[in-house]
Parts: sequence; structure tokens; C-alpha cells
Amino acid sequence: MTDLLRVRDLSTRFFTEEGQINAVENVSFTVEAGSVLGVVGESGSGKSVTGLSLIDLVESPGKITSGEIWYNNADLAERVEGDRPEAVDGDFVDLRRLSEAERRSLRGSAFSMIFQDPMSSFNPSITVGEQIAEAAEVQRRASANPRSTRSRTQGYGLGQMLLDGVLPNRSYTSEESWDRAVELLERVGIPDPAERAEEYPHQFSGGMLQRAMIAQALAGDPDLLVADEPTTALDVTIQAQILDLLADLQETMEMSVVLITHNLGVIARVADRVSVMYAGEVVERGTLRDVFDDPVHPYTKGLLGSVPDIDQPGERLEPIAGNVPDLVDANMPDRCYFADRCPKAMTDCLTRPPEYEVSDGHRARCVLAEREYSEADAVPDERFARATDDGTAANDGSTAADGSIASDAEVSDD
Amino acid sequence: MTDPLVTVDDLEKYYYENDTLLDRLTGAEREAVRAVDGVSFEVREGETLGVVGESGCGKSTLAETLMRLREPTGGSVTFDGDPVFDLSGTDMNAFRRRAQVMFQDPFSSLDPRMTAGEIITEPLAIHGVGTSGERRERAETLLDEVGLSADQIDRYPHEFSGGQRQRIGFARALAIDPEFIVLDEPVSALDVSVQAQVLNLLADMQAERDLTYLFIAHDLSVVRHISDRVAVMYLGEIVEIGPTEEIFEDPKHPYTKALLESVPRADTDERDRTVETIRGDVPSPRNPPSGCSFRTRCPELIQPPGLDLPQATFRGISEFRTRIENGDIDVDLRWEQVGDPDREDREAFVDSLREEAFDTELPDAEEETVSEAIRALADGDRETAAATLRERYRSPCEAIDPGLPAGEHPSACLLNEQPEDVETAREEWEADYEAPEAGASSR
Ligand code: SF4
Ligand code: SF4
Repeated sequence: MTDLLRVRDLSTRFFTEEGQINAVENVSFTVEAGSVLGVVGESGSGKSVTGLSLIDLVESPGKITSGEIWYNNADLAERVEGDRPEAVDGDFVDLRRLSEAERRSLRGSAFSMIFQDPMSSFNPSITVGEQIAEAAEVQRRASANPRSTRSRTQGYGLGQMLLDGVLPNRSYTSEESWDRAVELLERVGIPDPAERAEEYPHQFSGGMLQRAMIAQALAGDPDLLVADEPTTALDVTIQAQILDLLADLQETMEMSVVLITHNLGVIARVADRVSVMYAGEVVERGTLRDVFDDPVHPYTKGLLGSVPDIDQPGERLEPIAGNVPDLVDANMPDRCYFADRCPKAMTDCLTRPPEYEVSDGHRARCVLAEREYSEADAVPDERFARATDDGTAANDGSTAADGSIASDAEVSDD
Repeated sequence: MTDPLVTVDDLEKYYYENDTLLDRLTGAEREAVRAVDGVSFEVREGETLGVVGESGCGKSTLAETLMRLREPTGGSVTFDGDPVFDLSGTDMNAFRRRAQVMFQDPFSSLDPRMTAGEIITEPLAIHGVGTSGERRERAETLLDEVGLSADQIDRYPHEFSGGQRQRIGFARALAIDPEFIVLDEPVSALDVSVQAQVLNLLADMQAERDLTYLFIAHDLSVVRHISDRVAVMYLGEIVEIGPTEEIFEDPKHPYTKALLESVPRADTDERDRTVETIRGDVPSPRNPPSGCSFRTRCPELIQPPGLDLPQATFRGISEFRTRIENGDIDVDLRWEQVGDPDREDREAFVDSLREEAFDTELPDAEEETVSEAIRALADGDRETAAATLRERYRSPCEAIDPGLPAGEHPSACLLNEQPEDVETAREEWEADYEAPEAGASSR
């Protein structure tokens, strides 16, 4: 399978009053053409910021600070090669080395994104059809003039539309775009699309509006759809409908999807490959089978063990002790970020583990990929400034590496 | 079987819209929102009864009404023999001590300037239990018991993580030593690893203190994990109730089946599992469907006597009928799409809509009836169009309101055992029902 996107060592930081937050830390992964990559993690794992980074929607005080995002697009490569040979490698273009205008021009047509809350993606005072027609119009005009990537950007990029809700008035869209909007609404399974197109967002149910947002995101026929918790706010019967729809669209439109979610069931339902994120890092990645059936990283195992199984109600859940670190740069220890919660922590873990290759395409950022656990090397719990799960005391600056032992804060969360 | 601690009988909570003085003066119709619509069940001593349902099914209103945090519009609740809605004075106080409630975000209604200790002991202070020194001691013990530490007593809510806040909320609910706790979505805002910690804590405390729980949640896996029995709610009603194992292994109501099927499993076989998704949205509780409230989405909708179509065909026609009845199809717009503003070619209109509404062939008789309805629609006569379909495709599920019979595992569906009065009503309805000839009026 060919790759659509190769992400290498991507880092995104936020520069806030509390200090520098390492939201995404040296993340690498590949998205194959026509497949679904699931990115799973808990809150604060950096999964959403990873999605935003991919399509360049990180907002101040956040900033992508390093890394490469190689996008497979021969046409674009040819167009860019003259001006910026360093940004081109065969059919691949490094998006990070394009100008901002060039990058923005790819939004909607190359990359698109849907979010958890469709209400925030629609302007409440404009009909749904009009807003989708708007997105279609932008793409139509852009493809009428493919040589000028700039012409696509005039402030109407999909990203801006989705995020700002700044929309011009009706006269902007052509009848053709309106028809396209109706067609898109039909494509995403909205009954009586011509009628519904005339309605306002508040007249749509949550599930229907989610479909409408997907229609809007598809207006530019994107290669890649980033879906950030697209079903989290929905009831389970509606979630099943939307997952079906996404799988169907992905297949028929031959697009790739990066599906970001905390829900392991959703991942299992639609993802081909999986990246597990923890504390800003990808701690394990591989095929769905690699990650679910042969997990190496104790965090992956812990996550799988925490979910109550609806088919096999076990006696007792096995939660992961403690809580996620806060990602403030100054507090991030120079060791495996998971060591303070890890039941297998060893002295080896007191230096930052690299990404090890477990098997072809299956990687884990954990020493257990290379060696067995040995009790003799175990690190006693007290070595760590135990994450007390209260967000303040965990960050006394002490780390296991400098050998200081935290004196208070021994509250283990089970 | 253990005795019921709580008995809920035909509990009803309606809200009324258009109920201001002005509305009444102008004669606007008073509109009832049936949040809880005649619910009966019991919670047995020492058990956990899980209540599941999707948003808007009324499960949270049920909890609040049951605890008398809202006034019911009908029905009764009995707690250990006492009628909760008739209690006052010291009896009411006693009830407020014996029954506690914990919400998804226990802090949303609390003063953020209160410390953890103050939050936990507030119920004790309200009921005048102990001296302030004793109360503080109690808070320290409770903090330990819920897996926090006593020296966190003077911290503020914002200094705690979500999981810890839930622990504090739980400590508060435990403070006054209740027998019964209503837990309303207590773990749904938490990450899975933390959620598991809190679920274990709830289970441990129940075992230790013989607590009785009413556990309300939308996450079926969590409910299965923690409950002894489960009640499934849909549009303000309980559609099925029974022992957890039976509900999950042998669900009887089509809604329960659909709900269980919809949950994606965290398993590598998940992709190959066929999920029959149920279509459409939950109808508004302002205007619930007649008869069975699930009928607009039910994959097992019962056909009228004499009709025996493939289920998918029958459902397709029923959905089409609903679109016409709801006025979802804009006739003017459709004529425009047909490209015939003068409205001369009725057959083109019929073909266009017929094509769009059904992607498969219909049996001749159905084809005829459907076309007849569309012809009426083309003339702008929505009423006749709807009536034509209604006449032939009227399901008993829309005429008869199923009920929950007595027993260990009843379900409110006409396909299953029904209370006697419902059975009788159905027999009468069927006796009255005359199967019409297909397309009779056009012949
Ligand atoms: S590197 Fe060590 S501490 Fe980190 S996850 Fe692996 S075993 Fe645990
Ligand atoms: S009564 Fe009819 S509509 Fe209701 S659940 Fe049973 S079969 Fe379905």
C-alpha cells in the first residue's frame, strides 16, 4: 500500500503563562492511502493537538516547533519543485517547508477535519445548505484555477470556515454549488436533502448535524479526513450510524482517515492501524491486531484492561494507578514518562526509551520491546515523585533521574 | 428474593411549555414534555439497579424526581415503607439522611471556595450532626476511605483531578451514612483508566457498607459491570427490566437489542461483526409516537393482519409514510426538481419520488398503493397521501401501547408477553381491523 502521509518527529508546543507545554513530542507515524489510522489516548495525551498539527490548525499560543509532514501528491510536488526543491522528495512534499499560503490552500481540498461538536462548526444564522455550498464554492473556484494555489486561500479556507464561522453572504455561492451541497447531504444519508438544506443548524438533531458537518468537510473531495472524537457526543445508536457512514465514505471516496478518539471500541470498529498516545508521545503503533492482541507497552495493556468488557463481565477492573502528567516542560522527567505509573518500571527506564521495533511496522517506546522484565532491576515506587493525580503536587520538579525522593504525595489512585 | 428498599409506582414527571400567564391569556396550547411517563420498578436492598438509556430518555429526571429534588406530576415512591412524596418535617429529614445522590459533576452546584473538608461535611452540618471537630475528623476518615489522603482536607476543588473530585463527591454522599445512593452518571466524564478506579471504589464501598445503589448511566459496558439488575429506558418509559445477565445475554425488547448491538467492542473481531444500526433519531418527548414509543425506529415493527411483506419492505414503506405525515417532503420543491413547474406530468413526479424513496422493487400491490399515495401528494393533497398508506400499512404497534407485565424480566413490546389489558386491547383491535384491498380505491 502506498503512503499518503509520513509524519516524522513532529513536536507541537504551547507557550503559556504556566510555562512551555509539550503537547506533542517527537511524534512519528504513517497514514496509508485509503486506510484508517486510529489515534487513541486519554485526555491530555496530545491526540487532538496532533490532529490539528496535521492540517496546520494549531492556534497561538501553540506552535509546531519541529518535524516533517510528508504528503504524497505528485501534482503538488511538481508545482513546488521549482521554487523549493528542498521541500520535495519524489512525489512527496514536506508541508512544513511550504509557505503558509501554500499550506492553507491544501485545506479542504487535500485535508479536511471534523470535530466533536458540530454546532460549533456551523453559523447558527445561515442555512445548512448555504454553508455547505460555501465550502463547495471555494473548492470549485480553486479547481477552476489550479495553477494559483493562492486563489484558494482568500480567507475562505475550510479551516477558517470551520473555526471562525465567518461567512460571506448568500450571493457568493452559485447554483452549482447549491446543487452540490444537496448532493453531499444526500451522500451522507440525510433524508429529503433538498428540503433539509433550507433549514438552519438548530433544526437538525445532533446526529444529523454531525452528518452535515461531514458533508461540509467532503466538499473539496479531500485525500485525508481528520476526525477528532466525531462520535463522542452522540448516543450509541447514532454513533453506530456515523461510524458506518465514515467507513462507507472512506471506502467509496478512497480517502484516508485519521480517527482520533478515547474509545477503544470505536478504534476497533474502523481503524486499520493504531497509534496509542500518552503524555504527548506515540508510545505504541502498529496494525490493529499488533496493538490490541500483542501489546508491548504497559500503558497499552493498562488501557485495554481498564475498559469493562460488555461481553465478558469480569470480576474486577484493572485500572492504571495515578494520572497523566501535565506536560509542562519543566516538570517532564528525563525518563520514560509512564514510569511513575508503570508496574514494570526498571532501572533501564530511567533514561528516555527510544522507539523500538517489535516486528515489522509494530513499534513501542518501551524497553520491554527489547528485554524481559526482571524483578531484580525493578525500581521501587518511592523513586518517583508519585503522580498524585491532583495536578499540583506531582510537579515539584523532582525526577527519578536526579534521585530525589518525594516526601509528600503518596496517594496512589488504587 | 430480598425486600424492596425503594418502590416506584407509575411515576410521572411532565414539564409544561407555553404555560406562562401570557400564553394562557392568548390561549396558546399548553404543551407537555413527558420526561418520565409512568415508570414502575423497585430497588431491592443491597443491590445495584442500573438504569440505561440515551440522552433525553428521562433517566436523570427519574433520579431527581425519585429523590424529590423535583415535584412529580403523578405516581408515588415508597422508601422503606414510607411514602416519600407525603413526608414532611422530621420524617422528611430522616429520608434526606438515609438517601443520598451523587451527580456527574458534584461540584457544579457547590461554592468553589469551599475546601474538600467543607464539601464532605456539609450534609453533616445541615443535619446538625456532631461538633465541627468531630465533623473534621469524619472528613479525614472518609478521605482515606475513598483513596485520597487526610492531609488533602484543606485543598480546593480545582486542585484535584477529575477522578479525585469524583472521590470527594462520593465521600460527601457517604458522610451521613446513607443506605441508598443514587449515582447519576458518576464516571462518564472520566478517562477510562480513572473510570476503572472509581468503579472499583464504588463496588468496594457497597460491599463494605451494605449500600443500595441506583446507578444511572448511558455506557452499557459500565452498567453491565456494576449492576445486579438493569432497567432500559426509552422516551420516558422503562421498556425492559431484569437481571443483568439476562438483559445482556437474552434481551427481549427490540430497543435493548439494538442498543447492545450498537456498542463497539474493543476487540480485533469487531470489524467483522455485523451491526444492524437502527435508523433515525429519538422522537421528541413533546410529541411521542402513538402506541409503542419505539415504533418509529423499530426493526421488528409488526405488520397488520393479512399483510406479510419482507420486514425491510414494510419498514421502508412505513418510513416513507412517516416522511409524508411529518411533511418532510416539499411538494413544490419536488416539482421544481422534476423540471416541470406547470405540474403536468404527474407520472414523472411519481417516478422521481418513488425512485428516491425505495431502492428496491416492491411487490405489485405495494407498488400500486405507494404510487397512488404519491399521486395524491403530487396534487398537493398530503392528507390523502398519508391516509392511503395508513389504511394499508397500519401497524398494531401504533394503535396499542405496550405495557410492562409483572415478572422477573418483563419487556414492553407486543411481540412478548403483555399485561392482560394490553392483550385484550390488541385482540379487539385486530378483530376490528379490516384488511383493505391493495390500491382498492383506484380500481
Ligand atoms: S519503558 Fe519501562 S517504565 Fe516505561 S513503560 Fe516500558 S517498562 Fe514501563
Ligand atoms: S411493540 Fe412493536 S414497535 Fe414496539 S418494540 Fe415491539 S415490535 Fe417494535
